[in-house]
Amino acid sequence: MEQGALSLKATGRGRRRLLVNRVAEGSAVFAALLAILVLAIVIWSVGSRGAGAINLDFFLKGPSSDFFGGGGGIAPALAGTLLLVGVATLIALPTGVLTAIFVSEFAPVRAGQQIRLWLDVLNGFPSIVIGIFVFTLAVKTKVPVLGIGHHQSAIAGGFALAVIMLPLVSRSTIEVLRLVPNHLREASYALGVSKWQTVLRVVLPTSFGGILTGTTLAVARAAGETAPLLFTCAIAGQIVDWNPTHSVQSIPLTIYLDSESADPALHQQAWAAAFVLILFVLVTSLTARLLLERSRKKLGLQR
Amino acid sequence: MLARVEAASVPAGSLPRTRHAGDRIGDGLLYGLTALAAILGVLVVFAIVWRVADGAWPAIKFFKLGFVYHNVWNVNLNGGTFGARDLIIGTVVTSFGAMLLSAPISIAIGLFLSELAPPAVRAPVGTLIDMLAAVPSVVIGLWGIYVLAPFDAQHVAPAIHAVLGWIPIFGGDPHTESTVFTAIIVLTIMTIPITSSICRELFIGVPSELEEGSIGLGATRWEMVKTVVVPSVRGGVVAAIILGLGRALGEAIAVTQVIGNFIPMGRSLFGSGDTIASRLANQYQGASTDRQIAALIYLALVLLVITFLTNYAAQRVVKRFEFQRTGGA
Amino acid sequence: MKRGLALIAVALVALASVAAAGAKSSDTTITGAGSTFVQPLVAAWTPAIGKAFGYTVQYSGVGSGAGIAAITANQVDFGASDAPLNQAQQSACPDCIQIPWALSATAVAYNVPGAPAHINLDGNTISKIFLGTISNWNDPAIAALNKGANLPDLKITPVFRSDGSGTSYNFTDYLSSVNASWKTKIGTSTQPAFPAGQGAKGSSGVAGLITRTSGAIGYVDVAYAIKNHIKFAAVRNKAGKFLFPSLRRIEAAATAFTTVPANNELHIVNPPKSAALAYPISTYTYVIVHKKSAHAAELRKMIFWALTQGQGSQFAAKLTFAKLSTNKKVLVAAEKTLKQIQS
Repeated sequence: MEQGALSLKATGRGRRRLLVNRVAEGSAVFAALLAILVLAIVIWSVGSRGAGAINLDFFLKGPSSDFFGGGGGIAPALAGTLLLVGVATLIALPTGVLTAIFVSEFAPVRAGQQIRLWLDVLNGFPSIVIGIFVFTLAVKTKVPVLGIGHHQSAIAGGFALAVIMLPLVSRSTIEVLRLVPNHLREASYALGVSKWQTVLRVVLPTSFGGILTGTTLAVARAAGETAPLLFTCAIAGQIVDWNPTHSVQSIPLTIYLDSESADPALHQQAWAAAFVLILFVLVTSLTARLLLERSRKKLGLQR
Repeated sequence: MLARVEAASVPAGSLPRTRHAGDRIGDGLLYGLTALAAILGVLVVFAIVWRVADGAWPAIKFFKLGFVYHNVWNVNLNGGTFGARDLIIGTVVTSFGAMLLSAPISIAIGLFLSELAPPAVRAPVGTLIDMLAAVPSVVIGLWGIYVLAPFDAQHVAPAIHAVLGWIPIFGGDPHTESTVFTAIIVLTIMTIPITSSICRELFIGVPSELEEGSIGLGATRWEMVKTVVVPSVRGGVVAAIILGLGRALGEAIAVTQVIGNFIPMGRSLFGSGDTIASRLANQYQGASTDRQIAALIYLALVLLVITFLTNYAAQRVVKRFEFQRTGGA
Repeated sequence: MKRGLALIAVALVALASVAAAGAKSSDTTITGAGSTFVQPLVAAWTPAIGKAFGYTVQYSGVGSGAGIAAITANQVDFGASDAPLNQAQQSACPDCIQIPWALSATAVAYNVPGAPAHINLDGNTISKIFLGTISNWNDPAIAALNKGANLPDLKITPVFRSDGSGTSYNFTDYLSSVNASWKTKIGTSTQPAFPAGQGAKGSSGVAGLITRTSGAIGYVDVAYAIKNHIKFAAVRNKAGKFLFPSLRRIEAAATAFTTVPANNELHIVNPPKSAALAYPISTYTYVIVHKKSAHAAELRKMIFWALTQGQGSQFAAKLTFAKLSTNKKVLVAAEKTLKQIQS
């Protein structure tokens, strides 16, 4: 470098600051890569150990009754999870959407804030406590309600899952309803359309995609919950049962019970079931988020 | 933009003065239904607290507040002596340990996704980390038993023990598989997605003028983050961390699969332990006496109080920092 | 929107009709829950009962404690427990009767790489191991029982049941009868407060944890130990012999106790010296039913079958369950109690 020219190279403190910057950036990259690495390891572990057990029998048959044989399938658990999630969605979806409509369209600001607060509180409750709650309400009561009293049932289990889903469905629906531009509503009112017609014919259809994805995410969460089912829907037989007043098997519980086993065949069943569950949850979450991005873009909001 | 109907331009009598009866009924019905749903949603919260308190009442009457600081959990002793202290300690140690590990990693990930990554990478990486949140806890627990725990016992724990073994919490035999340490790692993995996604949203929300201003004044990216981005959303970051803590406190299944189900927890993290949620998962189904059932529900009540206070603290932190930041506006 | 609502309506109707169809077929379904100890045997019985009577038996191995809770709450048709009902449980379920329907033993399984072909243990040593006072496999107390054996320098990790377990009851019943310190400190229970070690859920959970942990020792039904190729110890009985649990040895323990109390609560641990060939940690396991219930007639048939044909060697012996008829008095008492089920 010539004597008179200015050097743009950093020296002394400047160099140190740049170094610190590099280290910080590197750490952030490292942290993100670490998280992705863990995800990859989990998926790979589950896939490599479970893939071997996945065949048609796995989805169509129940567990084998031969103690020394092992193997078989998870058909009862698969059916049970579908039933439980179905019941839960039937309960949580209307309640959640209606609550969201109330908060977004009808409630004064303070009331809306209060309701959102309590929904957040509900979201923070441990799922095992919710299981105990439904147990004392629906399983332990002496009065049979809807044929479900005093024994475990898919309705009780589904109800527990619905309590977990409710804050998720409400929150995401409220957000989506908020994204509906106000001028759509006001145009509708200006045309003399009543409020209820506006909500049903303008607001809801516009936000339908967002509601769907929010519900899908909640369903993915509910499908993987184990703790609430321990007390509400755990004592079940080994056959495919679609009766909601019966207790049914479920995939997360099957994984939980088989996970501690020493039997290599049951092991593999647990891994395979975990693989199926993880695939289902990841695919639905991914699809839901992609759809959400698309519907957001449609409403004119870029990220 | 808004289509306003000027009253003057509408001929008199062409618009109905009163609304349709059907509209009134419809509006009322929708209002009623939605209000009912909202009330039900809020009511569930109180119903849960009531039923849990009600079920715990026999134990509350019998053990009173001593339950919280006595540490014997024995079904046989004197017809059943139950004290939650060791379980509360186990719960707090595992959750706080997870929080300590997950906070810096989550903030770093949040920064990566909002500031430091090239824009093309942000969406896919963000999605991948969200997928980690979607993995069910029972699957993480299964993976924890057969992949993480042996790895910890054979490589990680002995390494830590070799360097830091003189500190009591890293003492003891590092080769045990079902340990508090493994449970902390599992909980860290589960809380990182939550905390990092909230942090990401917060960092993205910082006004770009502030960021560009500091860069314009010669700050490096890291200095910008340190002096502008993080301080302006400090409250939100703390709240995000506390929310992650709340999640860790309530986790039952993944913890019970790897922690060893043993109280009291020793000095060392490399020994077995137990938490409230984990004990509930193990003992509730098979509780044989009324006193034990009531004691377990009392445990559930304690857990409920702890998680509620944690979430409440998060809310207060947000409010307080909001107040500071906006100067009371 | 309208199409969506129509789809939902169709789905609801479909679900309702399927549920109705499912409801009809539940008449001959018998549900049970409880002991993991007897689960392999019930699983072996299920196809045979289906063939003999057309019943579908649905059994859930949730642990003896949970099984008692389930039958008390009428959640299932029968409960299965290796632990007899205690006073509190009997008064919570006054209509419940317990019938011994199988007979086997608890093995003391271990995982000690480099250990000799078999390890001898006695009651006191086992108590001390689970109390935590003996903590290494090369302890002189263990060496004294295994003369000339090369026991490694390896930490002992006791493994116990973390859930409500009848096997825990049987194991602690045995330890209480051989070790006074155990009796006062911890006693007999389905959920004992073990002072040392690690817990796992279910018999298969304990077997699994033992397999994964070097230096582990735990208690588990013989069938699970055999199935998972886990070594188990030879335990010394009162006559001074070190014995493995086998059909003969279990039968010897059963015949050593001749009185059957009115409520069928049988303890056959630690048999007297005269039973020279008895394995000291044997146990009956019970089926618990209500005297009056919806499926009373089916239950009578099913339990009678279990008490007689179910004891055949193709079911029981294969899983190391000894025949109930070994002790005629027990079989007679069981059948008599069975008559209390009102059909």
